[in-house]
Amino acid sequence: MIQMYHVDLRYDGGTSGLSDISMTVERGEFVFLTGASGAGKTSLLRLLFGAVRPSAGQVLVSGRNMARLSGSDVAVLRREVGVIFQDFKLLAERSVFENVAVTLEIAGASRREIRARVWSILKRLGLAHRLDHRPRALSGGEQQRVAIARALVKDPPLVLADEPTGNLDPELALDIMDIIADAHARGTTVVVATHDPTLLGRYGRRQLVLHRGKLVGDHRLDQRLRGGVASESL
Amino acid sequence: MRNLRRLRTSLRSGLRGITGAPLVFALSVATMAAGMFLLSGYLLVVQNVRVVLASYGSDLSLVAFLGPASGSTQALAAQLRAMPGVADLQYVSPAEALERLRGDLGADGGILDGLGENPLPGSFEITLTPEARTPEGVRALAAELRRSDALSDVRYGEAWVESYARILRALEWVGAMLGVSLLLVLGVIVAGTVRLAVHTRADEIAIQRLVGAGGFLVRLPFLLEAAVQGALAAGLALALLGLLFRFGLPLVGEAMRLVLGVATPVFFGPFEIGSLLLFGTSLGLGSALLSLLRLEESA
Repeated sequence: MIQMYHVDLRYDGGTSGLSDISMTVERGEFVFLTGASGAGKTSLLRLLFGAVRPSAGQVLVSGRNMARLSGSDVAVLRREVGVIFQDFKLLAERSVFENVAVTLEIAGASRREIRARVWSILKRLGLAHRLDHRPRALSGGEQQRVAIARALVKDPPLVLADEPTGNLDPELALDIMDIIADAHARGTTVVVATHDPTLLGRYGRRQLVLHRGKLVGDHRLDQRLRGGVASESL
Repeated sequence: MRNLRRLRTSLRSGLRGITGAPLVFALSVATMAAGMFLLSGYLLVVQNVRVVLASYGSDLSLVAFLGPASGSTQALAAQLRAMPGVADLQYVSPAEALERLRGDLGADGGILDGLGENPLPGSFEITLTPEARTPEGVRALAAELRRSDALSDVRYGEAWVESYARILRALEWVGAMLGVSLLLVLGVIVAGTVRLAVHTRADEIAIQRLVGAGGFLVRLPFLLEAAVQGALAAGLALALLGLLFRFGLPLVGEAMRLVLGVATPVFFGPFEIGSLLLFGTSLGLGSALLSLLRLEESA
């Protein structure tokens, strides 16, 4: 699903965001992207949904070379990727329904399809009773669930989440992660950036460790469930 | 089908932009309407000044004097009548010319009695076709007539025509400068309001991009908003100008008669009104296009 080969990312002014990153994520995998603040987690995710282009190396997402995509190609790719942010990024003046429906509207879905799919995902995430509410009337956890509903409503093959639980208390954080894990169980490839050790320990998935823009660890096996040493230091 | 639905979504977003912030939209329309009012008012003045100048132009005529070897007057008249720019001509015989001169001299007409032989030549008074009633048209016809061996001289009030031509040229220049300046100001106003709308809806744009809206779909609502804004502003400006023309002009009627002479001021016809509405719409669209050029494709 994702391949990166010797990827560098430099920002204007020459600051290095990522350096010589090489890794692959298979279709259907669940991967945590971890590291301290400023390690490059967000930069790596931004590369994956085409918000920035690599300065060197190759990034392939669903077989597409991100460096060569035109603006409209990036738009088409984003219709196949669900993105979740720490700060939710919801439209304050739109209802919950409208916030979720925007994804399907942009994809050109019919009204009937939009109604059915939005209702279904909101029901699945326990938000059916909040359909007509504005985001400011919702709790932080509910707002993040709306953002997740927006990302999942079109059943994307890839979901990218950038610190999705960063603004939530621990109990709600687990609730949100369970929803994302559930999406993975349905076959979605998931990449979650987090530095929350509780989540890393609880879900025991593959961890890509970043430090100052470099990939310094790839813990490939489920240590919690399978036991033993299974990590690979890079 | 999906593309049509995307288009509908985008257009709905544009309408939402209008209804979502009605005050901002109304202020934008009012600002642009003020500019359009100035431009339309200016065009109305230009149109009426042209009518006045055209009425002066209708006075343009030529007098072609016959030479000694002019031959048949009727044949020459037919030849002149066939020339481009000639609407009609009237033959003035030497005797008629002398009578006119006597009339012009009034009480001093008696001095002509001493003339043994009438020294005045016969002439043709030529009136011009509407298309030829310009300084250039008069000059061209005079040059053509002067090439004829049958005519000894051609007069058309050169000094007056040249002054008239200078006034026309000056008006055209001043008009063009004013027109371009007003256009630029209007363009800047609309571009500014579109930028403001883009800034206000930056979050919406970011989210639309995030979920896969391409550049066209993101820009379309703003283009629609700007086009509606332009059309409404033009309509408002024309309505205000129409009211002013209808009820304000009679109050300054005497002064207008002094300025315009016999010509009656006229308001825009349906064609001009349609053109100005189309112009307002296009100006909105064009300015929006320019201000959206720098909207990032992928961010």
